[in-house]
Amino acid sequence: MTDAGYDAADPAGSGNYPLNCWYVVATSDEVGRSLLARHALGGRLLAFRQADGQVAVLDDRCPHRAAPLSMGMLDGDQVVCRYHGFTFAADGECVRVPSQRHVPYGAQVRSYPVDERPPFVWVWPGNPALSRGVEPPDLPALREPGWAILGGSLEMAANYMLLHDNALDRTHFPYVHPHRIHRGYVEDPPPLQIEVAETTVSYRRTFTPAPLAGWQHEATGLPTDREYTQRETGTFVSPALHVDEMDIIGPEPERQVFRGVFIRAFTPIDAGRTLIIWRAARNYAHDDESVTERLREVYEGTMTEDQPLLEAIQATTGGGAGYEVSAAADAAAIRAYQIVEALLAEERGRPFTRRRD
Amino acid sequence: MSSGEAPSAAMLTVFSERRSDLVITAREVRAEGVISLTLADPGGAQLPAWTPGAHIDLLLDDTVRQYSLCGPPGDQHTWRIAVLLDAGGRGGSVKVHQTLKAGDQIAVRGPRNHFPLHAAPRHIFIAGGIGITPILPMIAVATEAGSDWRLYYGGRSQASMAFLDELEPYGERVVIWPDDERGLLPLDEILGDPADGALVYCCGPEGLLAATEQRCAAWPARALHLERFTAKPQPEPAAGEQAAFEVVCQRSGLTVTVPPGTSIIDALDEQGVSVLSSCLEGVCGTCETRVLEGIPDHRDSLLSEDEREANEYMMVCVSRSKSDRLVLDL
Repeated sequence: MTDAGYDAADPAGSGNYPLNCWYVVATSDEVGRSLLARHALGGRLLAFRQADGQVAVLDDRCPHRAAPLSMGMLDGDQVVCRYHGFTFAADGECVRVPSQRHVPYGAQVRSYPVDERPPFVWVWPGNPALSRGVEPPDLPALREPGWAILGGSLEMAANYMLLHDNALDRTHFPYVHPHRIHRGYVEDPPPLQIEVAETTVSYRRTFTPAPLAGWQHEATGLPTDREYTQRETGTFVSPALHVDEMDIIGPEPERQVFRGVFIRAFTPIDAGRTLIIWRAARNYAHDDESVTERLREVYEGTMTEDQPLLEAIQATTGGGAGYEVSAAADAAAIRAYQIVEALLAEERGRPFTRRRD
Repeated sequence: MSSGEAPSAAMLTVFSERRSDLVITAREVRAEGVISLTLADPGGAQLPAWTPGAHIDLLLDDTVRQYSLCGPPGDQHTWRIAVLLDAGGRGGSVKVHQTLKAGDQIAVRGPRNHFPLHAAPRHIFIAGGIGITPILPMIAVATEAGSDWRLYYGGRSQASMAFLDELEPYGERVVIWPDDERGLLPLDEILGDPADGALVYCCGPEGLLAATEQRCAAWPARALHLERFTAKPQPEPAAGEQAAFEVVCQRSGLTVTVPPGTSIIDALDEQGVSVLSSCLEGVCGTCETRVLEGIPDHRDSLLSEDEREANEYMMVCVSRSKSDRLVLDL
């Protein structure tokens, strides 16, 4: 292990994301008995599954001549470099250099704390000592029975905070996703109730009964000619995670709650790009493949509708901060920026100013 | 878009702090007059993350009290607080001591953090009495982060000082200083020379805070971090202080007049601008608001002299305005 103090990580040096935080770098099904290369968290990472099932994540760079270790091979639980056969254990220690008897001093690859909670593989890019006792966010919908799950991943050329800002913002829906919303979004939208804690912010609102949007009717099988109460909640859980919950309250007398949980892990690749690994869980139509495919189009379509805007904003501003004017409805997103700013100040030790740099 | 009448911009968002109904899983005596309570979600759900220096509100029947989280940093399954019995206080601690027991439900708001620990090569922690509580998770994190830290912990007597057992493993980094054996903390010695790159964190009674503030006058700006549990004595209001002034809420696009005798937060509330608040006496920091234009008349107990002069933030529950107009990030 390298000495990973407060300032040792983030080789790009330009990220505006906290390092002492769990981020999703891969899904469990992506990591097996072969070498997975992934650009994430300011560098190139290498992930593989050891014989005992534990996932190891290392820097994907041989300390000898910088060959990507992912071009090499996995030999048992050891990684053999493709270039000169330098061999590394899962903890990053060099255990063999074929051309000589002893291993050169300092021949090691940085390894990262890993916490796998299927379907996500979480990695801690900061000081490993500070990861002890800190759990990744718990996602009951992904581990409890009773949920049908779909998911995927995509990359966007936008800073991760633009994605959080977008996820906490409901007022762009009538403009960017007009065909995906129900009437309540434009007619008499209820106030956003914003709930804050030290490191989290949520919005919540309950709509007056309205007919469902087309896809909601198709997914739930509820009739088009009735009105339903809907609730929605979105939470900035951590710099690495946003979770939405959308409820449709079914008709009397059962008042069945049709719940959709949309989980987005935002993992900075570098200051201008983000990897989104997402899952969507629902508590209805469990075995209906056509519902799964309909919802896949909704979730993927919503993100790809946002994509050109967010990438254009990134190209225009070069990053997350620097807005000229905010509106009242931006309150949750502004709070998320403040949370990240405070976390950055704590870990980077910038106590002498509270202004955003 | 429909062409219906848009609701008032200021009514679009309503702020509140996270409220949790938790169960007390343990009540333990930690010293003379000090108990700790361990809180957890009744269903075992994960609680939101917090960082050292954070505190929560206990929502008692008719009163709200703030307590620092003093359990292991990063623990998202249980929150621990410690409560000093203050018979001469406002009654919150008496109620906690006399009525709360393991198995009881308790409503909690937060956490929030206005005493955050910033990374530094060296930290000097100064705790007086129950002021040890926010410092406990701080030294755990400072240790892991490799800071060269010291803790000076004063109290009436060893018997009255909580968590001595948990401090023991830190050895010589912790200096235990009971008044009855050693007198008051030797602040001149502890803070005599401004140490390069060191940050000072102090929590305890007003006398200790004031003395520490005074000793740190020669230290670099913002090296000192204080946490107060009660309002700092304020100078008498200057003549003309209670003049009316205007507050422009930038995001909402609203302008509100604050008349004499009405607080900013109340005037905003009347116009439907929702601002988070808790203590309403300038102690807890919940209503901290960014100032975009204008000169606040700071009347809180949180901001340091440098922060007051910077005029970047203000507590809108007690502070007013020196200028005719304030533009706030609301």
